[in-house]
Amino acid sequence: MSEHKQIGLKAFKHNLKSALKSFAGSYLRGGKPTSDRTRSSAIFNNFFLHIQGVKTHINTLRPGYTLGLGLLSFFLLLATTISGVLLMVYYNPSIENAYNSVKDINYVVFAGKLIRNVHKWAGEGMIILVLLHMARVFYTSSYKQGRQFNWVIGLALLVITFGINLSGYMLPWDQLSYWALVIVANIIQSPKEITDSLGLTGFFDLGGFSKELFLGGLTAGKESLTRVYLLHIMLFPILMFIFLGVHFWRIRKDGGLTKPEVFEPKAMDAALTTPPEKKGGLFPLNKTYGLMELAKGKTPAVDRDVENTVLSWPNLLWAEAALFVFCLAGVIVYSYFIDAPLKELANPLIPENPAKAPWYFLGLQELLSYSAFMGGVGLPGLALLGLALIPYLDREEQHVGLWFSNRQGKLIALESIAVSAAVIIGLLAFVINFGWFRSWWPNVPQLLITLINPGNIWVGFMILWSMFVIKRTGSTRMGAIALFTMFLVSYLIYTYVGTELRGPNWDFFWSRSAWPVH
Amino acid sequence: MRNRFFTWILFLSGGVLLIFTLLAAYRELTPEWEKYQAQYKEQIIKAAKDDAAKKKARQLKQEVQQLYLGALNRIDRCTSCHIGVENPRMASAKLPLKQHSGAYLKNHPPDKFGCSVCHYGQGRAVNKKEAHGLGHETHWDFPVMPLKYIQSSCTQCHDYETLTAKGYDTIAKGAKLFTEKGCRGCHKLDGIGGALGKKLDIVGSQPIAYFPMRHVEGEKTTYNWHKQHFTNPRALVPESEMKISVKPEETDLLATYVLSLRSGEMPKAYRKIKGRMAVGKPDEGEALYKMFCIACHTDGKESYYDEIFNHTIPSIKNPAFLKAAEDKYLKKVLEEGRAGTQMTSWKLAAGGLGESEINKLITYITKERPSSKPERFNVARFKPDEKRGGELYKVRCALCHGKKGEGELGVNLRNPVVQGADPEFLAITIRDGRAETPMPPFGKKGLSLTEQDLADLVSFVRTLSKTK
Repeated sequence: MSEHKQIGLKAFKHNLKSALKSFAGSYLRGGKPTSDRTRSSAIFNNFFLHIQGVKTHINTLRPGYTLGLGLLSFFLLLATTISGVLLMVYYNPSIENAYNSVKDINYVVFAGKLIRNVHKWAGEGMIILVLLHMARVFYTSSYKQGRQFNWVIGLALLVITFGINLSGYMLPWDQLSYWALVIVANIIQSPKEITDSLGLTGFFDLGGFSKELFLGGLTAGKESLTRVYLLHIMLFPILMFIFLGVHFWRIRKDGGLTKPEVFEPKAMDAALTTPPEKKGGLFPLNKTYGLMELAKGKTPAVDRDVENTVLSWPNLLWAEAALFVFCLAGVIVYSYFIDAPLKELANPLIPENPAKAPWYFLGLQELLSYSAFMGGVGLPGLALLGLALIPYLDREEQHVGLWFSNRQGKLIALESIAVSAAVIIGLLAFVINFGWFRSWWPNVPQLLITLINPGNIWVGFMILWSMFVIKRTGSTRMGAIALFTMFLVSYLIYTYVGTELRGPNWDFFWSRSAWPVH
Repeated sequence: MRNRFFTWILFLSGGVLLIFTLLAAYRELTPEWEKYQAQYKEQIIKAAKDDAAKKKARQLKQEVQQLYLGALNRIDRCTSCHIGVENPRMASAKLPLKQHSGAYLKNHPPDKFGCSVCHYGQGRAVNKKEAHGLGHETHWDFPVMPLKYIQSSCTQCHDYETLTAKGYDTIAKGAKLFTEKGCRGCHKLDGIGGALGKKLDIVGSQPIAYFPMRHVEGEKTTYNWHKQHFTNPRALVPESEMKISVKPEETDLLATYVLSLRSGEMPKAYRKIKGRMAVGKPDEGEALYKMFCIACHTDGKESYYDEIFNHTIPSIKNPAFLKAAEDKYLKKVLEEGRAGTQMTSWKLAAGGLGESEINKLITYITKERPSSKPERFNVARFKPDEKRGGELYKVRCALCHGKKGEGELGVNLRNPVVQGADPEFLAITIRDGRAETPMPPFGKKGLSLTEQDLADLVSFVRTLSKTK
């Protein structure tokens, strides 16, 4: 407004009329972006947004590259957090009141049932999505080129995601909660299997100590609920957001998302982006200087921005907004139709049979049925260790930013699916039909079972097969693809077995309808 | 269009999000109970007798109805649909608006008892399916109980004799069958019984998962389980060794009985079980006297000065006293007590004795009242001189009754019962004294004050409450 300076009441009226516009201008330091420069500064100078780069590579925006999985996981976390805070208004974390408070949320709190459903499905959806995200990052070799540590941070986030889901599962204090708590406590106690076999428990009862620390006592009860609640609403969320902050920061510092070495924008990219405003050829008329940046390459490009990037404002933000609404829509639709389960009040005298952990732990529970220590501590620990080592054992720098690296990678992946499925199903068929050591030799020492059981055999096979692939192909990346693919397949198959094929007493049934009615 | 791929996703998802948010809002704003309350409102508007009633009916708010029963640790929202349960106009309405049958709600007002304590069901729910709790998917162990077993809930507070006396004898019959069919030969109850069968102590409170439900016909509820188990144990539990021979109608009686064997106890305020409770109120004059009066008044024949009370305790069964005192007066003293003394007010709102009990006490106390009435004094004959009465009082009465009539050796004359007493009674008392007590006769038979003296004294005594 470069009219005559206004004073007094006239000024007041004018200011009042333009209040909204001037507010928008004050909110973004630099005003509403109207040029590339102001679009850059809107990102650069914003407290929340400046963790993202001013420019985004076109590859990052391609839905087929990332499938938006990381963002979807984050948005699910936001949905879970907000719905969780709302639930905290009514939930009461004492064993006398927890169940009834959840019932009241379902019955009388306005939209209570919907909010609880959102919380449950967004929370459990997060597990699926972070696993898919991890798979995407792996298969596009995005744990390379300086991104190794961020992969490890991601694994920490995976563990936290499992933990926060599990602790939330225990809060309603119904039969599902209580018996899941009992099972988890016994898993935590599983080092006792080792110390017992070695005769060490008297001196060093790691299992018993850990279990008591977790339960706040010798049995699952009111102290356990308090601790689980503390974990769920405070400790895990704090850890989650700290690690998430580091995770995002590392993305930026490591150079954004990976992209293939050879990249050409395609026609379809036009649908994803707004082209940059390039006015008047190489030498603009009236500016002496504009945006300055360092870039690879020798000549200035006229029809595109440097290094195949586009401005984050609006392109990245628009994609994120679209994904956010998509995420919310999916969560609301699912929550509208499907209710989060709530069974009878927790009854320590009536065990669920089968007493099952939540679905995302049922693969683990299947391994647990072979050996408590291996299934509960040993193999999951080994799996996490193995996953964490991937970026450090596979340091080949080729084919970064390409799904499955190349044709060979695709073949190795398919081969691994076939081999792992065959071996796992074979092991399962054997165990289900013939049992294991204790079915044949009732007095066999436990240590032998701990060391040699179907779970160990499977993990051992995975490792050996991956080494075999490395040798065969001469590439650590191929070995990594084999290992990771087999890990995914085994997670899927064991989870399916634990969910659908295991019934009362952990016996095998072809389907739930075959379970004996009590 | 710029960014058209993401724009499409944004607007499509936004559309879906908006639609489902609206659908969810609609679902929240049209709960099941609302339509029943709307029907109810319509019916009471129609039944309204006049414009004022119609106006009041129109103002009826439609909201969740909730009974919070702290002592029972329950919340019952049944009346959200069963909105007419206490309304006599709904006696012939259709369920769920129908009024509760019988007169049960008179002694069991919903705001003190709720519904689920007798009828089971899931009180916190606000839709029919989950509130009634039927069906495996509701995950509720105690669905609404079939009415034929309802007496299993009565025994939470009432004993068998009272129930049977009022005509509710199903439960007593069931208990009798239990004692006469040898059940305890195999089943322990309260620690006593055989060990072949399961303990029965809290079988009425066991969840569905406690029972093998596989072979139950119809709804898989504990009610059906018990009935069918009594009919044929091996139909439900193939390996059972249970021996039972009862008629078909007796299985319902037995089922009512076992369903009454519940865990937990009702709070004391709710229980009305004779014999189990602390001492109740006696029902008969002498027993009442022993319970409430005897500690202070002993046999009531003599009045005596009590060192601990610092007061004289009057003789209430003293024939001389009874001769002068009318029942009306006794009743007043009993009901109001004597302020300023240890004599409590015994009326219902204070000491807690009802009218019939007070009458019984009076009948008992006055059993030995002499049949002859005292000679009438007729106070009205005299023109009393208060001042002169005061002088007389100082000389004759203050020694025992205190300078201001507050009483010491003699009773407190300032209290309302004396002050409100018939002057005739006062005059006769002063004239004739109180045999067996320190109060001497001041009339002809004793110290020979004139009748005028007595009248003056009476009028002075009646001013005592006004002196400070």
